[in-house]
Amino acid sequence: MRQFFKILKFELTGHLKNKVFIGMTVVGVVLIAMAIFFPNIKGLFKSDGAAEDTGDLPVMLIRTEDSAAGELTKQYFAKAFPDYNVTVADGSAEDVQKRVTSGEAECAFDIAGNSYTYYVNNLSMYDVNPDTAEGVLRDVYRINVMIQGGLSEDEAGEIMSVQIEGNVVSLGKDQMQNFFYTYIMIFALYMVILLYGQMVATDVASEKSSRAMEVLITSAKPTSMMFGKVLASCAAGLIQLAAIFGSALTFYHVNKAAWGGNEIINSIFNIPVGLFVYLLVFFFLGFLIYAFLYGAIGSTVSKLEDVNTSVMPVTFLFIIAFIVVVFSMTSGNVDSTVLKVCSFVPFTSPMAMFTRICMSSVPWNEIAVSIALLVGTTVGTGFISAKIYRVGVLLYGTRPNIKEVFKAARKA
Amino acid sequence: MLLEMKNVVKSFGEKQVLKGVSFAAESGKAFGLLGRNGAGKTTSIRILMDVFPCDSGEILVDGKPIDYSKVAFGYLPEERGLYPKKRISEQLVYFAELKGLCRKDAVQAVKYWLGRLEMSEYADKRLDTLSKGNQQKIQLVTALAHDPQIVILDEPFSGLDPVNAMLLKDVVKEQIAREKTVLFSSHQMSYIEEFCDSIAIINAGKVVLSGDLREIKRNYVRDRLVVVTENAEKIKRDFGDSCTEAKPGELIIRLASPDDKQSVMKRLVESYDVDELRVYEPSLNDIFVEYAGEQI
Repeated sequence: MRQFFKILKFELTGHLKNKVFIGMTVVGVVLIAMAIFFPNIKGLFKSDGAAEDTGDLPVMLIRTEDSAAGELTKQYFAKAFPDYNVTVADGSAEDVQKRVTSGEAECAFDIAGNSYTYYVNNLSMYDVNPDTAEGVLRDVYRINVMIQGGLSEDEAGEIMSVQIEGNVVSLGKDQMQNFFYTYIMIFALYMVILLYGQMVATDVASEKSSRAMEVLITSAKPTSMMFGKVLASCAAGLIQLAAIFGSALTFYHVNKAAWGGNEIINSIFNIPVGLFVYLLVFFFLGFLIYAFLYGAIGSTVSKLEDVNTSVMPVTFLFIIAFIVVVFSMTSGNVDSTVLKVCSFVPFTSPMAMFTRICMSSVPWNEIAVSIALLVGTTVGTGFISAKIYRVGVLLYGTRPNIKEVFKAARKA
Repeated sequence: MLLEMKNVVKSFGEKQVLKGVSFAAESGKAFGLLGRNGAGKTTSIRILMDVFPCDSGEILVDGKPIDYSKVAFGYLPEERGLYPKKRISEQLVYFAELKGLCRKDAVQAVKYWLGRLEMSEYADKRLDTLSKGNQQKIQLVTALAHDPQIVILDEPFSGLDPVNAMLLKDVVKEQIAREKTVLFSSHQMSYIEEFCDSIAIINAGKVVLSGDLREIKRNYVRDRLVVVTENAEKIKRDFGDSCTEAKPGELIIRLASPDDKQSVMKRLVESYDVDELRVYEPSLNDIFVEYAGEQI
């Protein structure tokens, strides 16, 4: 046990003194600061005066066959496209096209009855103008029909803009509200495990290739070495996350006013304490189980160059778990059978169960079973890894295959 | 303290690496473990230090199974290497602490040993800024700083210049004088001859010769004569195949039987102009080549 703490301390100070670690943390904090103070920074660069803004609005041209209908259409288009300076264009369709190509106008609608043609220089992937225009034209058509039916223009307008008031009360979890912080947490988990896991593998392999292992293995127990190394990198990862998220939280509280009613940002920073505890539990266990695997693999590699190819299977397993979880999250179907199964399988449960807890209502006994399975498997993986490590670190030359390693580890 | 290895067998996969290795090393004496590359020396050492268990056989201290929590080992592995990017004093203290010293003692011991090996000025340098020989001296500190009862030195002299070799010799002698059990593994026979009281030669996983070095030499068949002479050509012609020239003016004559010693000596003195004549003392090198030379 004494050895374990010595190793933990030595490895952890190694991480904390590492320039890359310090650099990454500082960059993370700076980026977070920039993101959180974004409204203030944006304010600094914005020149004063809203008048200038309207002048800067891009021009949207509207060409209609008859000018009477054109006025009404323009009114509604202007309402529907507040980001554009909507202008009625006279002249032929060619003239309109020319004005768009020359850059004088950003886009144009050539409207004939219930059909339209949309002219734009480069059609962006997210251009929703045609969809909006269709809605507007439908409204205009309906209003026209109503006017022809004897209603006044105002009455028709009122019918079209009737307001419905409604309240939505979620009795379980609000997926929309929880989505963002769940996503951020899952992504943080993913990044940290991948980064630090590979670091554990590289660390073990470099101790082996520098032959420091010859002295280490005769000075300390392999279990102390494995657990010390893995827990040290876990602690380093947590410290880094704590620094980044902690500064994010502090910056947010300092700058809360600037964000005002931004619900997404507010929901991210109002993560319930209970979920935060779950996050820590799943982070800790998920990190350990993968770091043990990475460490065991690192010990079977003789050359540093081989680390990346050797850890590939574990990395793939992990990436697949991540993809399944993120797909389920974005599709909103977090109670699917796939995710339910994943939330019990130890190598996927850290992310899958955490997502389910955040975005759905999971009975406590399911959570307990999932965590128990995960704890058991993590401890088991730890000891098996230590055995593989004990055998692996002294094997030089060609990389042994999995069967050989397990056979040797069983004997050790 | 008597450290014994008894009938140790070890296989890696299908290959049996140790086929019943036994030897004994006493404290206050140096023991030489010899063998060709791949004979099983390092495996024996690793089993001795409990890096991995043996398939069968036992390790005894004073006749009782070894208790690793009570016996401290110091080990200088043949494959040297520590953390290349870390400061020297930092990693040496770490290794000493791992071996059981408290921080204060570890710092003190490292300071002492760096001074003893004339390396104090490098304490705050990174290991990879040092020359190979100096790195080896640093590595020696990891083997000695925690004051172990058993010191295992694998090829300790390779890569050292004569001055450093002298320094290391003094350190080894000091360890022996302090009643430590020093276990040498080396291919440089001269050093083994200089330090070791007893040896074991391992060949292909078996001990082919072991015991007190002087006794081994004494019992070695004394069937060769050394002749220093001016008329080597003549003697060579007369003695034919049994005579070889070791160096100019020095011949070695192999006797048909040790009993012929008197008669051949007499013949040589009477018939030729001989400057010097003596029985050939076998060197450890000869013994090693004879016992370890052929793969069994």
